[in-house]
Amino acid sequence: MISNKNVYQKSILARWISGIIGNQKAFIGSCIILFFGVSAIFIPPFIQSPTDFLSTPLLPPSFEYFFGTNGQGQDVFAQTICGARQTLFVGFSAGILVVIIGALIGGIAGYYGGRIDDILSLLINVFLVMPGLPLMVILASWLPPSPGTLLGVLVLTGWAWNARVIRSQMMTFKNRDFVSAAIVSGESNIRIIIIEIMPRMLSLLASSFIGASIYSIGAQVGLEFLGLGDVSTVTWGTNLYWASNNLALLTESWWTFVPTGFCIALISFALTLINFGIDEVSNPRLISEKLWRNKVPENLITHGITPVSNSNE
Amino acid sequence: MNKPVIKIENLTVDYITEENPIKAVHDVTFEIFSGEIFGLVGESGSGKSTVVQAMMRILPPPALISNGKVIINDKDILTSSDSDIVGFRWKQISIVMQSALNALNPVLSVREQIQDVLKTHKNLIGIDADKRAKELLSLVEIDHDRLDSFPHQLSGGMKQRIVIAIALAIMPPIIIMDEPTTALDVIVEREIIAKVIDLRKKLGLTILFITHDLNLLLEFADRLAIMKNGKIVELDTVENIYAGGKHHYTKKLIGSIPSASGKRQKGLLSKPNSLNLSKSPILEVRNLKKVFQSPGFFNKNKLVAVNDISFKVHKGEIVGIVGESGSGKSTVAKLVTRLIRPSEGFIYLNGENKKVAESRDVPLQYRKDVQMVFQDPFGSLNSIHTVYHHLSRPLFRHRLKNKEEMLSYIIDLLEKVGLTPGEKFAEKFPHEMSGGERQRVAIARALSLEPKIVVADEPTSMLDVSIRMEVLEIFAKMRIKSNLTVLFITHDLASARYLADRIIVLKDGSIIEENDSEKLIQNPKENYTKQLIRAASPGWLSELTN
Repeated sequence: MISNKNVYQKSILARWISGIIGNQKAFIGSCIILFFGVSAIFIPPFIQSPTDFLSTPLLPPSFEYFFGTNGQGQDVFAQTICGARQTLFVGFSAGILVVIIGALIGGIAGYYGGRIDDILSLLINVFLVMPGLPLMVILASWLPPSPGTLLGVLVLTGWAWNARVIRSQMMTFKNRDFVSAAIVSGESNIRIIIIEIMPRMLSLLASSFIGASIYSIGAQVGLEFLGLGDVSTVTWGTNLYWASNNLALLTESWWTFVPTGFCIALISFALTLINFGIDEVSNPRLISEKLWRNKVPENLITHGITPVSNSNE
Repeated sequence: MNKPVIKIENLTVDYITEENPIKAVHDVTFEIFSGEIFGLVGESGSGKSTVVQAMMRILPPPALISNGKVIINDKDILTSSDSDIVGFRWKQISIVMQSALNALNPVLSVREQIQDVLKTHKNLIGIDADKRAKELLSLVEIDHDRLDSFPHQLSGGMKQRIVIAIALAIMPPIIIMDEPTTALDVIVEREIIAKVIDLRKKLGLTILFITHDLNLLLEFADRLAIMKNGKIVELDTVENIYAGGKHHYTKKLIGSIPSASGKRQKGLLSKPNSLNLSKSPILEVRNLKKVFQSPGFFNKNKLVAVNDISFKVHKGEIVGIVGESGSGKSTVAKLVTRLIRPSEGFIYLNGENKKVAESRDVPLQYRKDVQMVFQDPFGSLNSIHTVYHHLSRPLFRHRLKNKEEMLSYIIDLLEKVGLTPGEKFAEKFPHEMSGGERQRVAIARALSLEPKIVVADEPTSMLDVSIRMEVLEIFAKMRIKSNLTVLFITHDLASARYLADRIIVLKDGSIIEENDSEKLIQNPKENYTKQLIRAASPGWLSELTN
């Protein structure tokens, strides 16, 4: 006997999880993200406080201080680990919010069309043509510095592009027969959007989330580097801000900025890997072509001509 | 017809997968003689297109030709070097592709597209190329002015002729046609075929014609090969196959072709002995009109898709609406199911003056009473949901069944449309089923609410020929068993003749003729109806070529 629930779960979740785990790129990417997440949450209680003044400023890396000390004599290792907390939290939150707002506004505009679409499209277009970076700088310097401000600024300047993409995707789905069939059977519009259409957009939503997260982390670090965040907190952005304030390049103390920079690059790299993975999971053609390349001997492959296996000659 | 120009022996094509390769074509052997029209018939997935693409070696990854021999004009294709093959394509053999309507580049004029081929393969440019392009257009009977047209300015039939003209550009002795007429209307299709036959006579071409439509090939091919699951199950002359063939699959294919003329075949679809129709119609449509306005504030382009249509449908009746693409028949389906709002007119359901046409929101009761079966079974089911979800949602929505009753009701319903065992099918996903099975699920969904009327918009046109009649039989049986009312919308007059009691012929958004099915077939009044009937009956080709 079947029950509605487990059949449903088998459909989306299982397919996705097995797809992600089975895909090498997505798996490696997820591991890196997981590593940073876990270390940011669990390691800080066991190490030096990142704000304590411990020792001589600008000590190079040693066994006592893995990444050395910075211009104030604070432990760079502790700052790198603890800095991940707020940076990743704000980055991923902004990513989620951007996707939710984009899906909501873009989805409604695309699904309903007509007058509603006209108004929402106007809103989207206004936000798209506003120059993002100056707006971000102005808002961040004008509002009181806090993680909440950063989050708000990032979401406000980042949601429009996403809404635009989701809107056009929604417009193609709206005219599909399965949506018409749901309308004819009397389903409500909200239910059609959430249960019938949104799951079909899962790969788009997931890669939008990843794109938005990369953007948010980068922009957030950039703003903080310019001193537009709360400089009293420890984040990857403020780490770089203090490194530059203490003339890290002139004093040749590379260890004050390299670890943080490397971590930012690694996070973006991991997210990009996951994005590639999602692409392969949701687009089976890429996989079958890869398989084919692996299995067919290389000397047989020429562009545009079907190979003939000479095994039986 | 002495020596074979194409000789294929034991051709086998594999599709590489993670596990064992899938054999898309298995041990296919046939010969084609000079000047012959050789037909390759098969349903979707039978491997017919794969054979041809393997012959030309244009199969994309993940294909691999694993065995066999292909000899075309004494040249062994499978052992030739890459540069040999590139020179060989188009000069010796050219191909008219399946989606020929999309084969033309939308941003290049016809002239440029023809000259492109001439330049690449014959190094013909300037005045010579122009002259040749004009010759080619004359060959397919298209006006020379059209040389500077762009594809979007041409009709489907014209595009198809131009694609054929391009294939003929450097006069290859062999032409492969892969479903060249599938996207066209019947009447246009017949004209194109007549043109091809004419060209073959003039130029002495050898043609390999691939189609799913056996009926079409029976008219003009010399020999036929019938493919199923990657193998040729029967290869014989047209006369022998027309007589019924030897293989049971051939027999099934031949038996499933309805004809729009002549005496009615017995036993093709079940019909009630007599029709007892009530006086008052269950659905009445009065002066319905739909005008599509192009988007944009300054855009004044209007398209009248449906113009002043009125008809009635009685309880227990099957009414066919027949028309070609652009006749507005799908718009009628969408209007009746209220997927779109009529610009003018009235829809009355069940005689109760329930004027659903005017309101923006459709009453839930109307959604329960009017159901629809869509053309494309791949598109009308949501690929992420199970069959159970598709069938249970409408029932939950209209509060017809509770959780306990649901499963047994759905299993019962699935078995009614021929999906046994029902519990197995209930937990399947759309991609785990064949096209025919999906369409049965879609029909079950429409029937689940016990609607007053079902609108079936081309329910069989995307299905394989051999199962079309079986799917239509579901409607025929349900009508007898539970007095189902159906509005059957189709381009195929022959199937409408067998399923429907009454036929309405639609052209350019207006009703041009309406009569009982057999009366309409035997005595058509309008010229257009006569044309339609002729195009769907055997023997049309001889009329056209004479």
